[in-house]
Amino acid sequence: MFKFILRRTLYTIPILFGVTLIMFLLFHVAGGDPAAQAAGRYATPESIQIIRVQMGLDKPLVIQYFELVRQIFTLDFGRSWASKQEISSLFASGIGPSLSVTLPAFVLALLMNIPLGMLVAYKRNSWFDKNMLVLCLAMLSISSVVYVLAGQYFLSYKLGWFPVSGWDPSWIGRWEYVTLPVIILLVLFFGGDLLFFRTVFLEEMHQDYVRTARSKGLSERRVLFKHVLRNALVPIITLLVLQVPFLIVGSLLIESYFGIPGLGGMIFRAIQEADFPVIKAMTIMGAVLYIVFQLLSDVLYALVDPKIRLG
Amino acid sequence: MQLISPLFRSFKAFKSLIIFCSVLLTLGCTKKSDAPDNSITFPLEAYIKGLDPAKSSDTYTEEVLSNLVEGLFQYSYLKRPLQVEPLLAAAMPTVSKDGMTHTFKIKKGVRFHDSEAFPDGKGREVKAQDFIYSWKRLADPATQSEGWWIFDGKIKGLNEWRDKIGKEASVTYDTPVAGLEAPDDETLIIRLTVPYYQLHYVLTMSYASVIPKEAVDKYGAEFLNHPVGTGPFKFESWIRGNKVILAKNPTWHGGTFPSEGSAEDKASGILADAGKPLPFVDKLIFLEMPEAQPRWLSFMKGTTDLSGIPKDNYDGAVKDRKLRPEVESKGIRLHIYSSAEVVYISFNMVDPVVGKNLYLRQALAMAYDTTTAMEKFYNNRAIMAHSMIAPGMDGYEPEFKNPFKEYNVEKAKELLKKAGYPDGKGLPPIEYSDSGTTTSRQMSEYLSQQFEKIGVKVNIVSNSWPQFQDRIRNKKAQMFGMAWLADYPDPQNMMQLFYGPNISPGPNSSNFQNKEFDALYEKALKLPPGPARSDLYKKMRDIFVAQLPWIPTVHRQGFTLSHGWIENYKKVDSMHGYFKYLRVNVDKKKELKAKL
Repeated sequence: MFKFILRRTLYTIPILFGVTLIMFLLFHVAGGDPAAQAAGRYATPESIQIIRVQMGLDKPLVIQYFELVRQIFTLDFGRSWASKQEISSLFASGIGPSLSVTLPAFVLALLMNIPLGMLVAYKRNSWFDKNMLVLCLAMLSISSVVYVLAGQYFLSYKLGWFPVSGWDPSWIGRWEYVTLPVIILLVLFFGGDLLFFRTVFLEEMHQDYVRTARSKGLSERRVLFKHVLRNALVPIITLLVLQVPFLIVGSLLIESYFGIPGLGGMIFRAIQEADFPVIKAMTIMGAVLYIVFQLLSDVLYALVDPKIRLG
Repeated sequence: MQLISPLFRSFKAFKSLIIFCSVLLTLGCTKKSDAPDNSITFPLEAYIKGLDPAKSSDTYTEEVLSNLVEGLFQYSYLKRPLQVEPLLAAAMPTVSKDGMTHTFKIKKGVRFHDSEAFPDGKGREVKAQDFIYSWKRLADPATQSEGWWIFDGKIKGLNEWRDKIGKEASVTYDTPVAGLEAPDDETLIIRLTVPYYQLHYVLTMSYASVIPKEAVDKYGAEFLNHPVGTGPFKFESWIRGNKVILAKNPTWHGGTFPSEGSAEDKASGILADAGKPLPFVDKLIFLEMPEAQPRWLSFMKGTTDLSGIPKDNYDGAVKDRKLRPEVESKGIRLHIYSSAEVVYISFNMVDPVVGKNLYLRQALAMAYDTTTAMEKFYNNRAIMAHSMIAPGMDGYEPEFKNPFKEYNVEKAKELLKKAGYPDGKGLPPIEYSDSGTTTSRQMSEYLSQQFEKIGVKVNIVSNSWPQFQDRIRNKKAQMFGMAWLADYPDPQNMMQLFYGPNISPGPNSSNFQNKEFDALYEKALKLPPGPARSDLYKKMRDIFVAQLPWIPTVHRQGFTLSHGWIENYKKVDSMHGYFKYLRVNVDKKKELKAKL
């Protein structure tokens, strides 16, 4: 196990190298000139050049790239070009609001969709199963913007159940504002998750060991929860663990419609403003999170499924 | 139910889930607001960057910042056309006969906001030297100000100081600049290098406002997150991406509601507050709401007090430029005003195809149906633009017609033939760049359809905003759509967009160069406002029409809604800092809000 973790950790080096190189090239080739952007609409070649020097964009690309590598190793990404705040404090202020929406939605979706997935799989080919399938497919084929627009219009505006948008920095006060976004995310998770869980459970329910367990006279409850659920956990964990980085990064759509000051909106603003320090810090963070959680999911495989041996 | 019961027994969490959801729903239904009754909540259509006056380049930042900081002048709230009046200046300045020296007396008793930047936390009195510091900071390249242009090349010694600061150890903020002098705490002298008849206009802008050195020293690069000024409101908090809260400044130097207004103002009752001390409200809350639907619904719920009308909601709210009865019955009012702005389709004049062929530009202008575009994209909230001069500006003539603004496909085809491309044959596809937003892509498609009618093919190049600006700055965009909102109500601000030395990356993004135009522009700069200067502007406009570096499309109009409890609203686009004049009728607010 230790060797596996070490090997996978070493793999992250070329992956991170690739990610940083692609991001760096994209920013410099297609990202626009941040110095010219900062100089404004009355820019002169002289004023752009002054800002370019201040931003360090006048240095050769190789030097700029090594500066990026240095920042990754020291974990010091400096300050945002736009807000002038330290990246670490920007990140710290954005992660809480993002997780306030995505985490409850993620947990509630699990609590709801795993048992429902099992139930639908168990009732395979029944009217309930068929209707749920149609419902899931219908929900998946509707754009997520529609849920946001409709939820905000009917539940907030027409029925007045929730505020249309807004934010309260206190942990108690913010529930007022995150309830509807959480519900919408729950709906967004529903179709895809349920279809996935159904497939996983169906697969397991037709395995030989299930037939054996039943023939031994085990109760349905024991068969399902002791055997099927445990085996189904392998692919489920993969899906769930890999979703965690996206929970942290937040939902741009939800955040911009509901005024939630999270990381999703922050990334959007950074791209709009060609704020490279924020873009690179977030890209690196995204890549590292993804790698770490992928490793975690591999380790968890081994823990829930004795057939899998890492090494 | 064989399975369901074990599920529920095993997953006790399911029960907890229902309880948790109920709690969330209950909390969600508990209405509360951080806006006290005597406050104004205003939606911003974009995220704002920072609250440093040296960087107040966009209209949304300016909307917030103009309540915090102040300069020597402001625009009179009620007079139209806009007129400059003293704000932190005690009176209008004394100007030397040659117009090159302006002497200002600073109003007494003006204090900076209380701030931890000051030793005792109490804002100190503003001195003439503070203006010199603030303007030097604007000139300092380390500030990376987008507002340096207001003084660039205009004040004696300031450009030289800018060139040396940060490079030569002997040059500091204490190094005198010949054109900026404060003989005592209340007197400020500006000495110009060239006549600058727009000086008083630029001194109304936040770029020229006064800020304390102590706050810049304390917060350094983060001053833009901790603004300190002299305005009627002081900074309270900002959650980036959500809201900015400003509170009434208890140490404000004071001001009263204007007593002079038009007959229309008298009739509307806006002068009822004449002479009363400002500001009227206790708090200003600016919500950053880039999406149209939440902006609109928040207004219709009464969460926000003022709002624009999103394109998709226009027909539901307005008919024939009047509010629909069902909207009006809620006490909502509609305010329509002209905007000193022009929307245009620009040709790149250094492009070998469109830039060198006048007939081709004329043909494309006549093939573009602006009337339909106004309906499609602006809900007719605009008037046809015939030149670069916007309504309300010196030299704007409502009756003036640009002959190439006539939509005439046949004439366009004839011109295309004269251009050497009969029915578009031999003409390579025109590259049209847009900024990639949904509306800009729709506009590009529309333009493509228009040109297709005369046989001209268009390749649409959609970009991100930074890429779009890059293409223009690097003279790579063959044609592109853009708008220019005037910085001040003087046509010079529009004419500079065609002045040769201003070509990209400067504001002359069409890269238009015409010696006669440049000579007229330089001559006009030396003239005070008056008939002689207006004549020059008209001649420049005629050169523009003859050469057609743009297809001017529309002058947009502002359509703003206010709730019935908001009083004294009278705004135009170039004016900011007007929140101090607004009043909230708290009783009416309770009554009307109950109906929403």
